[in-house]
Amino acid sequence: MKLRFWGVRGSFAMPGREFLRYGGNTTSIEIVTNVGQRLLVDLGTGATEYAKHLMGSEFGKGQGLLPILLSHTHLDHIQGLPFFTPFFIKGNEIQIMGANPSSGLSLESTLQNQLAPHYSPLNGLENLAAGVTIESFTPGVTITLPGYEVVTAAVPHGNMWTTAFRVIADDKVITIITDVEYPRPDEPLAVAIDLARDADLLVHDAMHADHDYELRRGWGHSPARAGVSLAERAGAKKLALFHHSPDATDEMIDELVERTASRTSVQVFAAAEGSYLDV
Amino acid sequence: MPARFIRKLLELWGSHREGVEFSYLMQITFWGVRGSYPVPGAATVRYGGQTSCVEARSASGEIVIVDAGTGMRQLGNKLARELGGVAGNFHVLLSHVHWDHIQGLPFFSPVYMPGTRISVYALLTAADELNQVIGGITRHEFFPMPLEAVPAHFDFQKVEPGVDFVIGSFHVIPIALNHPFGSVGYRIDGDGSSWAYVSDTAPFDQVLHKQHFLSGPEPLSADDLTALGAMREALVARLRGVDTVVYDTHFLPDEYSRFPHYGHSTPDQALVICKEAGIRRLVLYHHAPSHTDEMMDRIAADYLAKGATMGIEVLTSYEGMTLPIGPEAT
Repeated sequence: MKLRFWGVRGSFAMPGREFLRYGGNTTSIEIVTNVGQRLLVDLGTGATEYAKHLMGSEFGKGQGLLPILLSHTHLDHIQGLPFFTPFFIKGNEIQIMGANPSSGLSLESTLQNQLAPHYSPLNGLENLAAGVTIESFTPGVTITLPGYEVVTAAVPHGNMWTTAFRVIADDKVITIITDVEYPRPDEPLAVAIDLARDADLLVHDAMHADHDYELRRGWGHSPARAGVSLAERAGAKKLALFHHSPDATDEMIDELVERTASRTSVQVFAAAEGSYLDV
Repeated sequence: MPARFIRKLLELWGSHREGVEFSYLMQITFWGVRGSYPVPGAATVRYGGQTSCVEARSASGEIVIVDAGTGMRQLGNKLARELGGVAGNFHVLLSHVHWDHIQGLPFFSPVYMPGTRISVYALLTAADELNQVIGGITRHEFFPMPLEAVPAHFDFQKVEPGVDFVIGSFHVIPIALNHPFGSVGYRIDGDGSSWAYVSDTAPFDQVLHKQHFLSGPEPLSADDLTALGAMREALVARLRGVDTVVYDTHFLPDEYSRFPHYGHSTPDQALVICKEAGIRRLVLYHHAPSHTDEMMDRIAADYLAKGATMGIEVLTSYEGMTLPIGPEAT
């Protein structure tokens, strides 16, 4: 199984020289099995870059098949949806799956609101030329997709819940927990430990350095050390710090990785846009 | 001192250098120049990747903000620094409410400062009330804090094309544009000079944008042609005498020919309008997300040359660019 980060930034896309090495696009993660079955997690602005990449393949000819999992529907996780070009090619089959937001609105209505005529010239999901299905699930379920088994769980994110994923394929495990804040960052919840158990790679919210976490406690994001505590307890082999703060320049992320790695035996790196990682 | 000389002097000095504020002329600063969605990465570092947001500042330091795209985050940080903890009173003119023109609003840091007042001006295109449309971007599903709960006080002002209004020393005229679900440009006069913001708009010949989805150009009725002609005529009339026009030039001609129904123009189409209106200076704006810095360099050079043959100075906007607005053309 391979993984590629197309967007690693949290909250807000950050163009500019200070963000080139890790990347300024908001969250989007591609996973590919050994035989080439694809899975996308989140549709931040990184998905617009992924879309260009896909258009060079069967998706350009309207023969693509893609399941997309959404962690939640905050804008930085769905911002790329209206510009995801495979949606505009007839014949592509795209399946969007996520939990219903805790407001009570369905996932489908939420995405319809994003494409409401005043906000977007697309004027609704029905105008996407591809076959698009929106399916909501209740976190806790295990989803079976071609080549994958995905265990889901709800984790706390400020005043709401997000969905975390344990993606199993090719006898390997990738756990993705983005946009999460545990009541105590050094004591990850049991549900997170179960999801990350013996994972080959744990991708975890690391929006804050320790000093700025103290100022933003309760805002729904984790300091980098929360991912470390979880990786240690769950026995995860590698930790990718993810959902970087829009204020974190490349140098600041370098420092964060260095500080975080020095306190653990887990292999730690910062998620960066660009290349495929073998898991 | 002749105004032309002052302007040249300001341009030479680089009046946009941080902390240096000149007080002779109105000036505009570009905080986001990109269309559709923000584009990070190595290909956009020079022209910038943030979406639509322009700040106009009068000689006495009054501000109006035009469009609330992602460029507004950086503008908010600057304004908060300038105010040094004092609550401000801001006026935000929206061309329309597509995501790339409003997405920066929840990230405008003064929103979280108690006592801040923000007036939002926009076209009322749907049955929805403006507060619901703007507030809708911070619904629970989309954003952690709803607009109704933020410390700043918001009020919403409906604008109508051709009905002018005053904000401090600025005189503002909304101008109807041709874009899906409606859009307005603004002519803004102040300090004895004027500039106009004409974005987003398609040209006024091939497609008439209404309030439904277009999968391609639709046949135009006689009424449609009349409506397009009237819109174009009103735009040219309103622009007459304006010094600097910032125009939606999202597309190059070959891109436009493939997507005439997307609601955007080319620099060539902007030049024709500006020539008719007798404009001194055209600023290319709302760059397509796919236009890399190298492409933008070529576009800037090509249209600078083309504009020169028509007697129009053509500049290509980039993030951080500040332009003093010359007074003598009014």
